[in-house]
Amino acid sequence: MSFPPATEEDRLVGPRVRKVALYIVLSGMVLFYLIPIETGLMTAITSPESYTGQTPFLPPLEPLVPGTGEFSLEAWGGALDGLSGGLVNSLVLVVPATVLSGLLGSMAAYGLTTVDWRGQVGIYVLFIAGIFIPYQAVLVPLTQFWYNVVPLRTAFVPLAELLPLVREYHWKLVALIITHTAYGLPICTLLFRAHYKKLSGEMIEAARLDGASVTTIYRRIILPLSIPMFAVVFIYQFTQIWNDLLFALTIIQFGDASVVTMDLVGIGVSQSGTNFPLRMAAALLAALPTLVVYVLFGDKFAEGVAT
Amino acid sequence: MRNPLDRSGRRRSGEEETHPAGDRTTGWRSLLRRDSVRSAPFWLPPFLLVGLFVYGGIAWNVLLSLTDFSGLGTPDYGSLDLENYRAAFADPLQAMVNYLAGVSGWVTSGSIEPQTPSWSDLTIDPVWNSLGNTVLLMVGFSVACLALGLVLAILVDRGVRFEDTFRTIYLLPMSLSFVVTAKFWLFMYNPETGLVNLGIQALGFGPVRIVQNPELKLGAVAFALIWQFSGYAMIVYLAALRSIPTSHFEAARVDGASTVRMYWRVIVPQLRTATVSALVVITVFALKAFDFLFSMYGGYQPGPSADILATRMVREAYANQNWAYGSTIAVVLFVMALCIVAPYIYSQYQRGEL
Amino acid sequence: MAALTLADVTKVFSDGSDDAVIAVDGVDMEIRDGEFLVLVGPSGCGKSTTLRMIAGLESVTQGEIRLGDRRINDVAPADRNIAMVFQSYALYPHMTVRENMSFGLEESTGMADAEVAATVEESASMMGIEELLDRKPSDLSGGQQQRVALGRAIVRDPEAFLMDEPLSNLDAKLRATMRTELQRIQEELGVTTVYVTHDQTEAMTMGDRIAVLDEGVLQQVGTPLECYHEPANRFVAGFIGEPSMNFFDVERQGTRLVADRFDYPLSEATHAALGDTTELALGIRPEDIELVGEPGDHAFETVVDVVEPMGDANACYLTFDRSGTDPETFVATVGGMQQVEAGQPAVAHLPESAIHLFDRATGEALRNRDLPDDDGVQQAVRSD
Repeated sequence: MSFPPATEEDRLVGPRVRKVALYIVLSGMVLFYLIPIETGLMTAITSPESYTGQTPFLPPLEPLVPGTGEFSLEAWGGALDGLSGGLVNSLVLVVPATVLSGLLGSMAAYGLTTVDWRGQVGIYVLFIAGIFIPYQAVLVPLTQFWYNVVPLRTAFVPLAELLPLVREYHWKLVALIITHTAYGLPICTLLFRAHYKKLSGEMIEAARLDGASVTTIYRRIILPLSIPMFAVVFIYQFTQIWNDLLFALTIIQFGDASVVTMDLVGIGVSQSGTNFPLRMAAALLAALPTLVVYVLFGDKFAEGVAT
Repeated sequence: MRNPLDRSGRRRSGEEETHPAGDRTTGWRSLLRRDSVRSAPFWLPPFLLVGLFVYGGIAWNVLLSLTDFSGLGTPDYGSLDLENYRAAFADPLQAMVNYLAGVSGWVTSGSIEPQTPSWSDLTIDPVWNSLGNTVLLMVGFSVACLALGLVLAILVDRGVRFEDTFRTIYLLPMSLSFVVTAKFWLFMYNPETGLVNLGIQALGFGPVRIVQNPELKLGAVAFALIWQFSGYAMIVYLAALRSIPTSHFEAARVDGASTVRMYWRVIVPQLRTATVSALVVITVFALKAFDFLFSMYGGYQPGPSADILATRMVREAYANQNWAYGSTIAVVLFVMALCIVAPYIYSQYQRGEL
Repeated sequence: MAALTLADVTKVFSDGSDDAVIAVDGVDMEIRDGEFLVLVGPSGCGKSTTLRMIAGLESVTQGEIRLGDRRINDVAPADRNIAMVFQSYALYPHMTVRENMSFGLEESTGMADAEVAATVEESASMMGIEELLDRKPSDLSGGQQQRVALGRAIVRDPEAFLMDEPLSNLDAKLRATMRTELQRIQEELGVTTVYVTHDQTEAMTMGDRIAVLDEGVLQQVGTPLECYHEPANRFVAGFIGEPSMNFFDVERQGTRLVADRFDYPLSEATHAALGDTTELALGIRPEDIELVGEPGDHAFETVVDVVEPMGDANACYLTFDRSGTDPETFVATVGGMQQVEAGQPAVAHLPESAIHLFDRATGEALRNRDLPDDDGVQQAVRSD
């Protein structure tokens, strides 16, 4: 597809007029999707003192255009101060959780696809159903598990003394990494399995005849052929885990281990009122990694969500 | 190929031949060679992880919902009962009346008696209010999201230039965190400086309080969520439109159907599968909208008119420490998700797409 | 090198319920050391399943497969010392040709790297693909991929080659070239080969012997000419040969065969071969029907319905009665220079020496055509 079909309407309205109308509507939607972000950006680069809020969508051009406020990156400095701890923690959390869930997901998909055996559909259904389970359904047990059952915290006390860079509160990040890995696995498995089902069965059989074991087939055939899918899965998981608030809120709860989404919730609000430039700068700063990933690998992201 | 039953007698008598008595190792060796066993190192560890955290978690949660666990301390699994469910679903008739009255704009006629369960000195509200809001949000948001996504997909699919750019921009909000979206829209909705209000004022109306307005709250939340997720619906529909053969468009054109009629009669009916899968995903997003409400309202208290099960659950458990009651609400949420997802997965299975 | 023996090999596919399907039913055959055996049959006849059982990709439900003296039923595919060429070539897309060919050697042998490299080079030169060694499969044409797939099989120096319709993805011209090429290589290496195809032309031209399979049951194993001239049953007679053999349902009354439209008197010798069977099918190959002479005992008046000129020959569709909308026809091939036109009457001579007679109930061949003693064909058939 597709060429606009020539019909009655064409003769009445004319294809050119319709084409123009089409582009106007599409551009209008561009405005709809971008304006909250644009407004946020313009506000974020206005100095908080000169911010009036009368034309938040215009760039700060004072003194050229009165009422728009003065250009300043002050808010970004404040945002960085407020979020730096969270940004570091988020990064420490996201990278291993993404890699782990991607790798394990690829392994699970391989075990459930390329090697064909009865019963794999049953196991697979349990994986898939996991995608749709609301996190609320496991929150209380998760909190119980990490705080009262697993002695992760006590394990981290000696570690923090022995190793540089390791702090006691890092146990919460480890708990969160494992949790995110477990809950990211279903979607990763789904994405990889869709990919593996398209691989040639004869090729796998050829490898078996060539003497490759199940493990060798995975390492030397499947893994190299999964690289494009790893890109999709990593991008998707990175976005999901970076953006999560609920697990962080219930597992980390408070303290030094808080991640960027937790820090963002409270930023820019004080007794004296809301500091919008600071708040918008913080929102953009927190969104920056996912925005960059999206702008660079937008098509991969689309592939991930559309599957 | 032939039916083995014709010759089953011969088959049965011959079975012994495959396992000559001398070859004792055949049994365990063939077990080890079974594909399920050989592939186990790959799928079993991830499966155990998912099994422990997801399914173990759910089971434990159900168990917790039967206890009286609240406050500090540890749950007592000794006495299990359905008291929490009775509290959650108290007074269903009155709830129904109130709900219908609320939807149709009547004034609320009666109030539901809050319950005082044995484990608490305080009263506990049933879940009716947040359940109603959840359903309302789910339905309203999902339908609007799909409709907008479909329209966008059809427009983008009409051979426009810069198609990739349009697509990328429409999907952009999807990459943002709920928390970030909430920050942006909180700003957009702000009575003094928000763009939405500036627009309303430009039309000559006074500033409107949106986020704190009980009548507009839920709609405001839904609108922001539509902004975030309609791009997803578009992507799904676009993929489906692309898979419809060009000949269908051409056939409709040869038949002289107008563009609108062509889409309505020929194309849209073919998008059923896409609609179902997008609907399932989007409804589940709506069930998870906690993050959004939490950051929009800066905490656990969005107020009764925007309270959904997702926020209510977290509030009961983590703010009020009514752990068992939180678990009960979580079970309700889980069952709702199951009602949406189970038929979907089953139909996927029937069509052999798993 | 070794002989490959299949003894009562059976494969039943079951999904746990009662809907089990017998894909291969008690196949017995012996493929001699160095022999090129073509396994042929219509799709779904179990030929691929048989091949996959030999490869070890499917388990054997019952029976025994031996390679040389070794029973290989429970030997893992990799340890059978067998190489297989697949229809889709099944090359590893992310590896170069060299890596594709080395893979099997690295995985299944303890060869040193230098030895692997040398072996690969040697096999590549044999296949004429040295200059492709550093390319990826996606950069190769279909014919080149086919050569690489063969090279990958050769490099393992296996005891047997298994080929699953390896030429079916090539265009007609290339297929003809590769047929000869394959035969040359097989002869040069002298490796026992089982070649699966649904194409009877490939079967006729390539195989030392042909094994015809239908519905999982082995119909006949023989040289191509044996299968052509002395089919064991009606299925083989109809499957081998293009255009295929004509069949007429006939009933024996005394020493005559009575069909709907003709009576066919039998000689004493022919008659004796038939025993008590009366319900028969008369088969005759298109090229054995002669369109000359006067009506007689074995010559009948027909009308030409359609003529398909093929250049060297004409395929004439004859019918006894052209009045119907869709008349029943049978085919005769005559020389390309012989003028035949649709609608013209023709006398079809069905020489008794060329007819086959089959038991209509069992399909079994009761009488096959005569083969002249001094004919080269006869020599070829008997010498085996």
